[in-house]
Amino acid sequence: MNPSTEPQHPGTADVEVVIIGTGFGGLAMGAQLKRHGRESFVLLERADDVAGTWRDNTYPGAACDVPSHLYSFSFRPNPEWSRFFSPGPEILQYLRDTAHAEGLLPHIRFGTNVEDARWDAAAQRWTVTTSQGVFTGRFLVTATGHLSDEALPPIKGLDGFTGDVFHSARWNHEVPLEGKRIGVIGSGATAVQLVPELAKTASELVVFQRSAQYVTPRPDRAYTESEKQLFRRDPDAMADHRSEIFWFLESRYAERRAVPDILDKARSQALNHLERQVKDPELRARLTPDYELGCKRVLISDTYYPALTRDNVTLEASALDHVEGSKAISRDGNTYELDVLVFCTGFETAEPPYARLVHDANGISLSDHWAQGMEAFASTTVAGFPNLFIINGPNTGLGHNSIVYIIEAQVDYILGALDWSRANGNHVLDVSARAQERYVDELQQRSDGTVWLSNGCKSWYIDPRSGRLTLIWPNFAHEFRYRNGTFDSAPYTAAETSAAR
Amino acid sequence: MSRTELAGGVVEGTITVDGVEVRYFDSVADHFATGESSRHPLVLVHGTGGSTRAHYGYLFPLLAGRQRVVAVDFAPPVPTQGPLTLEHLERQVVAVLDAVLPDRPVTLVGYSLGAVVAAAVAARHPQTVRNLVLVAGWMKTDAHQELRNKVWQRLREERSQALGDYMAFCAFSGPFLVASQALGDSSPALTAFEPNAFTDVQMKLNRTIDISGLVPSIAATTLVIGCTHDQMVPKWHSKALFASIPDARYTEITSGHAVVIERPAQLVQIIDQFTDAPSRDAAGDIVATARP
Repeated sequence: MNPSTEPQHPGTADVEVVIIGTGFGGLAMGAQLKRHGRESFVLLERADDVAGTWRDNTYPGAACDVPSHLYSFSFRPNPEWSRFFSPGPEILQYLRDTAHAEGLLPHIRFGTNVEDARWDAAAQRWTVTTSQGVFTGRFLVTATGHLSDEALPPIKGLDGFTGDVFHSARWNHEVPLEGKRIGVIGSGATAVQLVPELAKTASELVVFQRSAQYVTPRPDRAYTESEKQLFRRDPDAMADHRSEIFWFLESRYAERRAVPDILDKARSQALNHLERQVKDPELRARLTPDYELGCKRVLISDTYYPALTRDNVTLEASALDHVEGSKAISRDGNTYELDVLVFCTGFETAEPPYARLVHDANGISLSDHWAQGMEAFASTTVAGFPNLFIINGPNTGLGHNSIVYIIEAQVDYILGALDWSRANGNHVLDVSARAQERYVDELQQRSDGTVWLSNGCKSWYIDPRSGRLTLIWPNFAHEFRYRNGTFDSAPYTAAETSAAR
Repeated sequence: MSRTELAGGVVEGTITVDGVEVRYFDSVADHFATGESSRHPLVLVHGTGGSTRAHYGYLFPLLAGRQRVVAVDFAPPVPTQGPLTLEHLERQVVAVLDAVLPDRPVTLVGYSLGAVVAAAVAARHPQTVRNLVLVAGWMKTDAHQELRNKVWQRLREERSQALGDYMAFCAFSGPFLVASQALGDSSPALTAFEPNAFTDVQMKLNRTIDISGLVPSIAATTLVIGCTHDQMVPKWHSKALFASIPDARYTEITSGHAVVIERPAQLVQIIDQFTDAPSRDAAGDIVATARP
């Protein structure tokens, strides 16, 4: 079944909603459109499979740091999760099953890379140019995620490296790693999962750590057959389990809010974990962070610290500076002969790649609008970009809870917006600049006093150009749904919009 | 009276009531006091054997970002005044209201025994208490509570080693104890709580509570919060308050009596959304909690 109208010429389709991406965001949007009886949409996917981050990140040890029953759609609970924290391949399968079971496959255009998107004010439509032709739609939803385009630091001499080089999200499975001398660049969430795996077979492993991380215990375990059977037979028990996890994680927002007693307890839990697992005081010192807990993502692992104590593993407590042939030289001047370099250096987040592709009616890109950092009303819509919705856009990241919860709140908002527009003569939804400014100012106020803006805190949550917190939602997750999960037309109606101009 | 400024702009002060010093905390900063989304200050009243720190250590700082928050620490009255009565505790709350928030309408929040005190204060001071939140409260002690209280008293008199475990068993829900272990939180505030002489007189007071004549006169817009697995003040007590207060709505948290420890973030959510629009849900509504 092809949902699009008759193509005007090959490769062109006109639909109501064009969605970019088929990860958690795009699939949630598509599934809810279908469940609400809306069939006129396409999902544009540059790769040949769904699942975004979980399709790309195939490195050894890839797994989720948010418990499985919460890191899944509320409308598609899954009694089959094998473990408290899901291994990556299981999430990939869950999202493939979702795309299939929700009837989304006929709507997905695989191998379709978006090259440009512009608002056509006369036609009141978005024109989306892709590698597979042009799509037009009244609404454009970008659902390209926070972790889609890998970030690679410019390293002098890397081109001349004699061994193999790749990023953790573009794993080269052709390169044998057994018995090799491997350098891991970075010590964040990916490295913490990867290092224990590589350490098992590498002859030598060097971890280049720019800054130490807080690592807390990972209370992982397999679900028993009896538990899974209960979840199958009694879905309420599964919903209760999900709620328990949600509220447990939600309570930890107080750590980010820097409530002294609660932050102290969390910090000592992390430092006690380090003390228990690393006996060598010198190594322990190099692994002790010099900033507040929660500033960067708090990592969870029971195997990372022990891996660093192995004889074949070296913790280099400074960044990779440059490469000379087969030698990797750290900022502190230490030299290592290596066969493979794996970059666990994260993703482009402060300036999301889609922002360079999306243009307003005058041809100005979102990226230019966001020269001082990204911002949006309700974390979803941008003044001057009518009928555009951004899933996982500005101020939607969480340091303490599940992003899937945020995505679902955004999808509900967008559904409400679509319904309202349709009921009001296809009203074009352009949010008032004043409403957006008010929203962003309040968020910045709300960020004061949080650990993200504490002294000495540098993280990917903060835009380096403005020093503002643009990636993180600086509040409880439930507050996001309360504030941003229900569409209200007031900031989009003519009176409010003209008042702002 | 005394006033000391603590971290984060919070003021700690004392006032004298019935010859004893009563401590209070005041977040001072008046967020949203005016404008479209104006909010009354929140006044927090703790439960048996508690304190602002023990019962509202989580809620106070997180709610203080939304509106001014004041909390009262109950003080034991001097022994010459006879046994502790509900009126002693009511006077302590009213004295703090008069001293810190003179002539200002408030949202009064009470937890456990604090909910009993808050309900009584609300009934007698309708001009001050505009909104009322009763968490795991009750209006008339029943046989089930008397039995639990009697076991507690016996263990206490015998200086039993089992008293700490018994209190944890009564306070926390089974699901919470099991889940805390699964989630790796090895210390869900099970640290032995040491009862003192003031706890003893509060426990004695708990055996004789009866404000059932007063509760129907409460005029405040009221939210009653029951706790599904509460074994100390079972949820039927909250249902009885809900039934007796004219402008009351009811909601339930999946938790034991120790809701301030088990589901503090959900309690913040429910109180915050109530204070944002107290009459959003109509009187008589049983409000389902949102599923995440």
